[in-house]
Amino acid sequence: MNSASIRVRLTLWYGSALALILLLFAVALYLVMSRALREQVDASLDEAAAVAIRTLGEHRFGPFLIFEDLSQDFPEIALLDKFFQIFGPAGQVTIQSSNIQSREIPLSQSAFRASLEGQSTFESVQFKKGVPLRLLSVPIRQGEQLVNILRVGTSLQPTDRMLRRLLVGLYIASPVALLVSLLGGWFLAGRALRPVHAITQAARRIAAGDWSQRILTPHSNDEIGQLASTFNDMIGRLEVSFKQIRQFSADASHELRTPLTITKGETELALRRPRQAEDYRAVLESNLEEIDRMSRIVDELLFLSRADLGEIKLKMVPVQLDDLVREIQQQAMVLGMDRHVQAVLNAVEPVLIQGDDLRLRELLLNLVDNAVKYSYEGQTVELALVVEGSHAKIMVRDHGIGIAPENQARVFDRFYRTDEARAHGAKGTGLGLAICKWIVEVHHGTIELDSTVHGGSCFTVFLPLIPARA
Amino acid sequence: MRILVVEDEPKVASFIRRALEEESYAVDVCTDGIAGLDWAQAVDYDLIILDLMLPGLPGVEVLKRARAAGVKAPVMILTARSEVDQRVKGLDAGADDYLTKPFAIEELLARARALLRRAGGAPTGILRVDDVVLNPVTREVTRDGQRLEFTTKEYALMEYLMRNAGRVLTRSMIAEHVWDLDFDTFTNVIDVYISYLRNKIDKGRERGLIQTIRGSGYMMRSDG
Repeated sequence: MNSASIRVRLTLWYGSALALILLLFAVALYLVMSRALREQVDASLDEAAAVAIRTLGEHRFGPFLIFEDLSQDFPEIALLDKFFQIFGPAGQVTIQSSNIQSREIPLSQSAFRASLEGQSTFESVQFKKGVPLRLLSVPIRQGEQLVNILRVGTSLQPTDRMLRRLLVGLYIASPVALLVSLLGGWFLAGRALRPVHAITQAARRIAAGDWSQRILTPHSNDEIGQLASTFNDMIGRLEVSFKQIRQFSADASHELRTPLTITKGETELALRRPRQAEDYRAVLESNLEEIDRMSRIVDELLFLSRADLGEIKLKMVPVQLDDLVREIQQQAMVLGMDRHVQAVLNAVEPVLIQGDDLRLRELLLNLVDNAVKYSYEGQTVELALVVEGSHAKIMVRDHGIGIAPENQARVFDRFYRTDEARAHGAKGTGLGLAICKWIVEVHHGTIELDSTVHGGSCFTVFLPLIPARA
Repeated sequence: MRILVVEDEPKVASFIRRALEEESYAVDVCTDGIAGLDWAQAVDYDLIILDLMLPGLPGVEVLKRARAAGVKAPVMILTARSEVDQRVKGLDAGADDYLTKPFAIEELLARARALLRRAGGAPTGILRVDDVVLNPVTREVTRDGQRLEFTTKEYALMEYLMRNAGRVLTRSMIAEHVWDLDFDTFTNVIDVYISYLRNKIDKGRERGLIQTIRGSGYMMRSDG
């Protein structure tokens, strides 16, 4: 669903709800208004009837009531826009006000019957070709005797006209109000959805490869703002990992291309012209060395990618770490023989930990191999294993080229090699320490580096001991 | 022709040096950016082959500083990355050509020849002085259609003289362009090689093409 259709739907929902409310309001208003007007008319009829009866009473209900006299005595009656009729006890008109003129407005049966029983009656009537009327019939009695029936009437035309005007007003005003609200709703929905639109646009640009895109979040506390900042965070993290992957593959291709360049160059050079047997031999030896280097890079890369995917299964068993360290020291002696580097054991305490024997061996071998490689000739590599608190502490110290402080954090990065390490000439893949770090971490341990340039490096590994059982 | 190779990977530098030396160029190798920049400024190289990934100082920076310091030699950059922006940066910084690793050795040599040719102003690459013809691609030298055989060093000296025909070349210029850093300038090796060349091209002719300019050095000239 794109934002436009949400906008349409929001506006339609909003519009329908508003239309319903307007309709109910209009109906209610009309009903209340017409009722109020009717009551007002009835009240005025009541009042007029009361005035007329009072007047008649002053004339002692004489049968010859002259209406003109009445209006002279009570000018307000004439102004009341009402007509009066007085019926005899049999229901016949005896007298009526002049504003009725020649129209005949007879007493209805029901009103007459009610009058006989001494009750007033309100009626609404509509004669053919006449105006709608509201009539009030009031019996005038002396004792139990019905003397006369007074009827007061008035036209309902003004009331009806007012109601019609109200209806017309509602007919016009409601759609206008609805339209204005719809436009407002459309505008507001668009405004509310604009950040969503911005997010979509940004996501689209990011999909096209522009990782620098971010969404502006001026109102960072509302729901959309939270979505936008969450989105920004996600893009930030994606950008970092994307860059890491790109750096990683650039590094990997560089590391693989160097041995390829060498084997290709050496081989082509050898083939340019006939050479001595020993020259060919030298080329083959060099090529073999580079092929070994490439296969080591490929193996280690494969290991690390399997480790990333969690495919490396560890066989956790109790490992006697002191035995392992002694073995590693023996191997370090062999490794250091060419460069007259001695491996010495400074301290070994009996330590038992839970771990994968093979991986721990690999970890320590990597560390002593590095120590030997980057030692100055004739120096010593020192190994130590002690217990410190709840951890086994293994130290591998060399006296070699060392690592500058600004590079120390990066030596565990894949393919990262310091310029000094490259210049030192020792063939490394740049992956050894990344593997070491992984092995330490899967054993819930930590690895630390302490190093000074030309002063040598000391790698310290802390591995948790098996908790002593009481 | 003297070439500077700035490359940190010793084995890569080594085979590039050997390939170039087989083509009778004088080659110096530097393994880091700072030394490379120093040498590029100190010696008037005919060509610089520069790796972009260098310890000390990145290749692009070496190139920028060398150009800023007035180094005019053509520069070919080597990069392990096939990424376009690296090459663009290198070319913008003043490189004349580039090659991505891994490269074919013949391509390296052909591009080196092309850059030297362009710098020397001879579009076809074939050098002529009088009836002596030198082809840098095949490294054949003929006089009057007769093929002459040279050792590597003799050929390098011959090519340098022919590229600069009509110009007086001092002994130190010759030493700088034909021999590498190990050359000891206090010997008479140059004079000895000049006499070898004269033996081969001027023998039995009235007028020699290689003339001695007293007190200065040598010059190759056709008009005697």
